[in-house]
Amino acid sequence: MKIGIMSFAHHHAEAYLHNLQQIAGVQVVGVADADVARGSQLAEQHDLPFFQSYAALIRANPDGVIVTSENSRHLPLVELAADAGVHVLCEKPLATTVEDAGAIVEACADAGVILMTAFPMRFSTPLLAVKRQLAAGELGEVLAIKGVNQGELPTKHRAWFVDPELAGGGAVIDHTVHLVDVMRWYLESEVREVYAQTNRIFHADEVQVETGALEMLTFENGVFATIDASWSRPPYWPTWGGLGFELVTERGAVIVDAFSQNLVVYSHDEQRPTWYNWGSDANQAMIAEFVAAIREERPPRVTGIDGLRAVEVTRAAYESAATGRPVSLEV
Amino acid sequence: MKIGIVGTGSMGTTHAEAWAETGAEIAGFVSETVEAAGELAAAYGVRVYPTLGAMLTDVDVVDICTPTHLHYEMVLQAAAAGKDIICEKPLARTEEQALEMVRATGAAGVRLLVAHVVRFFPEYAQARELVAAGKIGRPAVIRLSRGSYRPKKPIGNWFLDEAKSGGILMDLMIHDFDYARWVAGEVESVYARRVSENDPEAAVDYGLAILRHRNGALTHVAGAWAYPPPTFRTALEIAGDQGLIQFDSESSAPITSLLRAVDGEAPDVAIPASPLSESPYTTEIKAFYRALRDGTPAPVSAADGLAAVQIAAAAIESAQSGRVVALEPLTEVSQ
Repeated sequence: MKIGIMSFAHHHAEAYLHNLQQIAGVQVVGVADADVARGSQLAEQHDLPFFQSYAALIRANPDGVIVTSENSRHLPLVELAADAGVHVLCEKPLATTVEDAGAIVEACADAGVILMTAFPMRFSTPLLAVKRQLAAGELGEVLAIKGVNQGELPTKHRAWFVDPELAGGGAVIDHTVHLVDVMRWYLESEVREVYAQTNRIFHADEVQVETGALEMLTFENGVFATIDASWSRPPYWPTWGGLGFELVTERGAVIVDAFSQNLVVYSHDEQRPTWYNWGSDANQAMIAEFVAAIREERPPRVTGIDGLRAVEVTRAAYESAATGRPVSLEV
Repeated sequence: MKIGIVGTGSMGTTHAEAWAETGAEIAGFVSETVEAAGELAAAYGVRVYPTLGAMLTDVDVVDICTPTHLHYEMVLQAAAAGKDIICEKPLARTEEQALEMVRATGAAGVRLLVAHVVRFFPEYAQARELVAAGKIGRPAVIRLSRGSYRPKKPIGNWFLDEAKSGGILMDLMIHDFDYARWVAGEVESVYARRVSENDPEAAVDYGLAILRHRNGALTHVAGAWAYPPPTFRTALEIAGDQGLIQFDSESSAPITSLLRAVDGEAPDVAIPASPLSESPYTTEIKAFYRALRDGTPAPVSAADGLAAVQIAAAAIESAQSGRVVALEPLTEVSQ
């Protein structure tokens, strides 16, 4: 099976490339990047063909592509792939607007190709274990969720993460979608109302987008949940950030940390504690699912619709932050 | 200084132990159940009065440790008698009552100190001191949580009676509402949700609130009456533009017991209270004692108690209405 990489704008592309190379029978057909210098350098580094245009990559007939361009530049690449009958794994958030996210879903549906949203938390082993307990009824009915997905300022990876045009915002669009997706997956219910408060106190001199964000979601089934999407981790934090939640049920509570499986390392090199994760690689399982869905000609475990729903909630959060009022989502 | 303690439940007992370590004299207790309170009173060699009115002439200071809904009338009664007052948190069941209590004590020229004990827990006090000293810059996002099991009472569980206690948002989360305001200043708006609002019959209660402070800082407050006994855990995180402070009662517990249950006994787990040379309740009462003795400002004022009730009442209103509740600045607080 041949897979192509469309853009290295998102640093996850390198991780996915590594993941693809671990799967038997998968060949990375090549990479393309609007930033030719970046793309050709990374292609050379990984000993892969570099295509001068996205169209040229698609003409090489991959079975699927991974779209890892800037958040606002997913749509044209997805359309290019879908129109050629190529399956798509698209980085999260699916798009920066509900319109674009809807167009992405529609383009893939019309072309009859697989569209998967890159939500690796669906493949996190701790989160899967709790999902199994929930589904088996071992935890009782969920009443509320307190979620955190805090991080450091992501500009150390790529500058565009704080560009309102390219990223679609700041901390809210960066760190809302993962937990929204986990909550929808766990609750099997849709978000009906969103309240959000944001500020720009962290890194106020460096960026123009919001860096602090607290959100409250209300689901159709009555469950309420908060998300802390803040870029509140200082640059010397032991790792990039984290994702976790407290699940409150009629039986009590379960506290989950997706990234607690760490070694704590103290090294003269870093002069501060650093966390080295030894947990199972959720990205690897996610990429394997994309490959398996193509092979087995079936929908992936997480779809474009899941990506669209998360974008809808994110845009509602921005509307709420702007108006100061809770925002309802249409049924 | 003669102290009269009203209420002989767990708080009345705790305050008595703390007063015993000051230069004040415990002069008596007030309890509706005179017999049950007899043992406590005997331990301090004093009598039990059946009513607050019966005790007033014998004391200088009234320390009110009764259920929340009784605070209002007792404070007004003690103020009318010219007594200085210490009142357990929440100051009152409603904002209107709290406001009237602040005005009445002001008009009577008596002190009203509100027992927000979290301000006297060393971890919370130190974190606030570090923020005030500029150690982490300007606070941006604060996270506070506090959780245990549903309060139990041998008789008449007033904690679970919404009309008496105000429920989890007023009784439990007010600790962190007060702390948030102490750290990041006045609160502008509140949005909250709670389990009991959706399902009054639920076996557990849980509340989440988002506060916006006037200076732009945001605070997330979580309160749980949802964990199995004897769990009691609290945590704080104050993230600023120049750093971050964390505390977690679980990870900072200096003693972890991994003891097998003694034969024939149910497994028992020790509550992970950090051993300290002085109970935070004693630290609190000592501070109040000095403030009353010397006529100096106390670390928690009547206005602080009022402001905390205002935030909690707004959270209750928000959870009921589903709307954001804006807080009106109170002149009694800003003075």
